[in-house]
Amino acid sequence: MSPAGCSHVNGYKVDNWKQNLRVIYQCFVWSGTAETRRRKAKSCICHMCGAHLNRLHSCLYCVFFGCFTKKHIHEHAKNKRHNLAIDLLYGGIYCFVCQDYIYDKDMEQIAKEEQRKAWKLQGISFCFLSENLMLSKWGEKYTTWEPTKRELELLRHNPKRRKITTNCTIGLRGLINLGNTCFMNCIVQALTHTPLLRDFFLSDRHKCEMQSNSCLVCEMSQLFQEFYSGHRSPHIPFRLLHLVWTHARHLAGYEQQDAHEFLIAALDVLHRHCKGDTINDNGKKANNPNHCNCIIDQIFTGGLQSDVTCQVCHGVSTTIDPFWDISLDLPGSSTPFWPLSPGGDGSTVNGESHLSGSTTLTDCLRRFTRPEHLGSSAKIKCGGCHSYQESTKQLTMKKLPIVACFHLKRFEHSAKLRRKITTYVSFPLELDMTPFMASSKESRMNGQYQQTVDVLNNDNKYSLFAVVNHQGTLESGHYTSFIRQHKDQWFKCDDAIITKASIKDVLDSEGYLLFYHKQFLEYE
Amino acid sequence: MKMEDMPLSGPDNTKLEALVHDIYSELVEDACLGLCFEVHRAVKQGYFFLDETDQESMKEFEIVDQPGVDIFGQVYNQWKNKECECPNCKRLIAASRFAPHLEKCLGMGRNSSRIANRRLASNNNMSKSESDQEDNDDLNDNDWSYGAEKKARKRKSDKNQNSPRRSKSIKHKNGELGSSVSSEPYKYNYNTGISYETLGPDEVRSLLTTYFLFLQQCGVISEHTKKMCTRSQRCPQHTDEQRRAVRVFLLGPSAPSLPDADTVVESDSFDIPDGQTLMSRLQWEDSPDISPADSASSKASTNHSDSRRPKKKKRPSLGLNSGGGGSLTGGGGSSSSSSQSNISLSTKKKRPKLSAPSISSIYDDLN
Repeated sequence: MSPAGCSHVNGYKVDNWKQNLRVIYQCFVWSGTAETRRRKAKSCICHMCGAHLNRLHSCLYCVFFGCFTKKHIHEHAKNKRHNLAIDLLYGGIYCFVCQDYIYDKDMEQIAKEEQRKAWKLQGISFCFLSENLMLSKWGEKYTTWEPTKRELELLRHNPKRRKITTNCTIGLRGLINLGNTCFMNCIVQALTHTPLLRDFFLSDRHKCEMQSNSCLVCEMSQLFQEFYSGHRSPHIPFRLLHLVWTHARHLAGYEQQDAHEFLIAALDVLHRHCKGDTINDNGKKANNPNHCNCIIDQIFTGGLQSDVTCQVCHGVSTTIDPFWDISLDLPGSSTPFWPLSPGGDGSTVNGESHLSGSTTLTDCLRRFTRPEHLGSSAKIKCGGCHSYQESTKQLTMKKLPIVACFHLKRFEHSAKLRRKITTYVSFPLELDMTPFMASSKESRMNGQYQQTVDVLNNDNKYSLFAVVNHQGTLESGHYTSFIRQHKDQWFKCDDAIITKASIKDVLDSEGYLLFYHKQFLEYE
Repeated sequence: MKMEDMPLSGPDNTKLEALVHDIYSELVEDACLGLCFEVHRAVKQGYFFLDETDQESMKEFEIVDQPGVDIFGQVYNQWKNKECECPNCKRLIAASRFAPHLEKCLGMGRNSSRIANRRLASNNNMSKSESDQEDNDDLNDNDWSYGAEKKARKRKSDKNQNSPRRSKSIKHKNGELGSSVSSEPYKYNYNTGISYETLGPDEVRSLLTTYFLFLQQCGVISEHTKKMCTRSQRCPQHTDEQRRAVRVFLLGPSAPSLPDADTVVESDSFDIPDGQTLMSRLQWEDSPDISPADSASSKASTNHSDSRRPKKKKRPSLGLNSGGGGSLTGGGGSSSSSSQSNISLSTKKKRPKLSAPSISSIYDDLN
């Protein structure tokens, strides 16, 4: 019996009480299907006054509904000596002897189970803003944390408590530059402020299967602990550097490197080390490399659809490749950058600050997903015509990842020149990826660039949460990043120095790596 | 009042309004009730007090937004003296110099194997003068990439040592996933040409010992090129007779006999004929069988540039098989450097394979 329970329930807990209780929950409290809802609406009225409001309660011992406010259920309890009643709105159990709601562990367990079942039946998709993600997404039962007796005792003895409010520095920490490691620091800042990743690591979801001390995921976990420790001095990520160099040899070496390359390498190593956490529906470990379910894949992996259309028979061959980032060409590079389409106002869809003439992220995306005519030198063997024909190729997004990383290709390494493209590209705070989805492709091919925005479809809405910038030249430069914390506060992370930044600073910056997070997340 | 009593499609607006109002207030009440239950439960279970925080603690963690200080209220640039412990060698290193240290420590840098060899050489000869030369290596180094030795020296010494930028080409095509390894070949290519004008007789002796014993190369001096053959001891071009002759010639009568694949002989007692003539002989012919070098550097076979070996080098690595720098010391090696050699060896396991299997077995013995 839990401390919040009472001894009076013992009289109830006889025979088939569990099943009876379940029935009550299923039929009268949590309505799973439309049918049960109808039944509840029709039958749940007070047996004495006929009202359906007034906090209706059901007696646990017999079939009797009575309102609480008008004390009808109290009367019943007194007359029949049925001491327990259940609130039909929230499922709380009321004990008339204690004259209070009681919380019995076994009964609560049943209540939770029934509630979850009902939710499933309803097919409720939970839409949460990324800040408040429920942990059930990771396949485990969601329970709010409740302290045990011992923990309560300890907490009572230690009254100094920190709560993360909007004006709190906890979660932010500088990183020391270990010698040209600003690229690593920026990526670390972006990853530690990815809400899903943060939730995953702070709730200790990683179960390490590596024997040695060289698991990068464990080190990431440690990194989160450091960030949320409340320390103010900058953290020295030397162990992280050592591990990354050990596992990603091509990155090793003291010299300036590319942040994007580091990101991909880091995600790759994390993905490889995440083996212990992949769980499929049966609860067994699924280690299929093509269908990995680790946290990195869940968050970062998207699917890119590539359609090759034969010009002769118009047969389309489609392949879908996974990706972790989207690399976008910029105007000013030596690759031909197509001018904006006739429907060039499409950028207003995303509400970008559209200085006249400047390129926007949407323009780059549009270029990325345009149909490209592969020249006569690149004929593809068509399955329909059984011969080599000219074709057009088009890339669209088949499946969007939860965190989309856009890489603006600012470093050009073509045959003749190597330079950095510093063209300003404006990017929005909120991005709607619907026009670039595979499903929207048909209308695009018909020349309709203007998409009617479906306000109710929240699937493809993203919001910016991290920006990595590069100052300098191709040979040498410095990386800094902007990250978002607490909904709308932005901070500039320059190695060990974290300062507050305005949204305008962020949007005016050059932008090299842009991290967007899905706004609404759904259970699968 | 009962729902059934209300005419739902009544044209009367007030009734509709009343109905709407009822529904609204019911919803609000239900929501409030839910909140009440939550609080009630928290109190009853005893964890309600957890929501409280003390003002002091909260004040400590407020974000500061003033010029000149970061969000913690600290002044910039006060973090110069941070130190950390290297996971490899366990020494305390200044944080801002950690990356270059780690690079050398792990044997990953361009010069690491050379530095390691040098350190081992100096340890072996009981002189400590070399071990502090670490940081100067960059200045004196020659680029490993083949064919660029002549230019390399000049280029390196001019550049700022702290921020060379490698040309990492961004090769990620759209849709490419995962570990896109830079197509740049490993920076630590082997040089295959060596000149030994500056060696003393001791070094020559040890060098030859290594060459004959550890590397087990043929060694027969070709008539045409006057260079030693680098193929294995089973090389079809030369006979055992010739091999024995060369060994005696170079190292005297007590030269090691052609050993079996696995024996390692102590190498302390050889006489060396005249140093200079020897030097000229000590040029290795490039042999495709043995050179583990990558295809990129297999062009010039015997390109021994004079600038290659600075005077400080006492024990140059035999370029072809310098994988285990420490292995040169063989029996006499100091144990303190063995860890270093192990490290460099293990990091080099990813090298293009040594084609002669017998050689790797020696390394196993040493390890």
